[in-house]
Amino acid sequence: MNPRPAYLMVIGWVALSCSFCTSTNMTRYYSQHHGALDSMERSYKQLYGFSPFSVLYTDRSFQQVSLEIVTDSLKYIYEFGTQEPRLKDTLIRYHLPVEGIYSLMEAMRSIHCTWISNLDYYVDDKKNSLVYISIHARALRFPLKSKKYYILTYFPQPQYYDSEGRLLDHRQRRRLRKINGEIFHRINDRVCYTVSDLFR
Amino acid sequence: MRKRVLPISAPVRFTFSYAPALSGLLVVMGMLLGCPPTLQAQNLTADTTPTSTAQMAMTYLDQLQDLEKSEAWPGIEPALFLKNIRENISHPLGLYEGNNTNFCGYAALSYLLLHDNPLGYAKLMMELYREGRARYGKILFEPSPEIREAAGKLKFKGALDIRPAEQLWFLCLADHFKGYLNLYNRHYHSGDEDNFWAAVNYGKFNRMVRNLLNYRVVARGSDLIRPSVPDLYDYISEQMKTGTTVLYLNNTNLYKKNHDKLRWNIPTHYVILLDFERTPDGLIRIIYWDYGLRTLQQLKPEFLRKNIFGITHCLKKTSIEP
Repeated sequence: MNPRPAYLMVIGWVALSCSFCTSTNMTRYYSQHHGALDSMERSYKQLYGFSPFSVLYTDRSFQQVSLEIVTDSLKYIYEFGTQEPRLKDTLIRYHLPVEGIYSLMEAMRSIHCTWISNLDYYVDDKKNSLVYISIHARALRFPLKSKKYYILTYFPQPQYYDSEGRLLDHRQRRRLRKINGEIFHRINDRVCYTVSDLFR
Repeated sequence: MRKRVLPISAPVRFTFSYAPALSGLLVVMGMLLGCPPTLQAQNLTADTTPTSTAQMAMTYLDQLQDLEKSEAWPGIEPALFLKNIRENISHPLGLYEGNNTNFCGYAALSYLLLHDNPLGYAKLMMELYREGRARYGKILFEPSPEIREAAGKLKFKGALDIRPAEQLWFLCLADHFKGYLNLYNRHYHSGDEDNFWAAVNYGKFNRMVRNLLNYRVVARGSDLIRPSVPDLYDYISEQMKTGTTVLYLNNTNLYKKNHDKLRWNIPTHYVILLDFERTPDGLIRIIYWDYGLRTLQQLKPEFLRKNIFGITHCLKKTSIEP
């Protein structure tokens, strides 16, 4: 048997996996899960109003959660098992709605979201905030992808994009806006994505 | 500045003919290992560490006439620059190194300067802005044209975007001080603030504190090997009783504990340690400063031991050395 077709198939599969069209998959992923993702963003923004915080799942099995709570004087970073009573006590102590946070954590786990936070950015020297969501690449099932996180950003207002769908700094300047050193791509007017080595 | 008589036992004396070669070797080792304590005696000078108060700095700034736009720094507006300097002096914890940059080492160094000599900081920044060059202690800053062009124009770094004084200062520091991590990228190009051009290895950090700020530095650790102290908790607690303690640690592991099966354990970040104590449940509660905020975290002693690569103790030199 000529082994060439088998080799070609393997090489083709590897090449396909490595160069898989991220944009198509991310857009498809978003269209499949946009209900859960959009609801998570809304829920996070509402809860953030009580006290600034971020949630991180620190392990691959989504059993350990790290809470970052920012007060006037300090940022507190706590880590708990999701079933530990200390988690609830801490939320009460910082006046965060317990049920709302638990629902948010459950929503995150259901779509393999590792991190949700609020990120400040500046346009014309004015401060704006976006919601930053990191999803472990496992959720999108790309085994050979080297970059591990798919990042979604929710802007408070529609953004400007170039003809290739890349996020721009400003309508006039036509310069690409980077967030955490990454170029972002359009999903819709308010939502962009990128792939990254880092979740935050 | 008061001068002081060196204690007789302070300098390390070489009487061998091959002393220069040996001392050169020691310097190279010191650069790599972050300068072990045995070499510290060489760094004692007759000078004292310059100090001042925030009030003195504010009085100095109040006495300034209108600051004109500097030709040396085309990207920096004088009003915003002055406002930024005032904020840094009145609220030094707000100093911000920027998202995704390699400025953390320079920010940690600036914490010392802003807390111990705000007047020196104000004068240095004003001279840098007006003249495009300035001297602080033994160091003469002569920023390259690329730096002068870039300062004030860094974008997408969070609050650093609107803090031109930090941009100018961090770029000047990175432009002036070089370590082995900067060997292959010595000249600034746009975006270099995020990569090895701005990186600070442990030896370079200690050298900056010693040479620029004139502190007595006691350093334990290195870029690759963790400090060999019998009891980390006791050692750090003892160090914190005097001076300022800087930790050189693996920042990634501080947040992401178990996302990957394989993790590199290398130090990536400098923080100022503000508080360090054992909790009743056996954890260690640390409060540290970075990114314009104080952070409180409770960590297992074993986790700390694995992730701290350098402990630098910065002591102000006084007229009477301990």
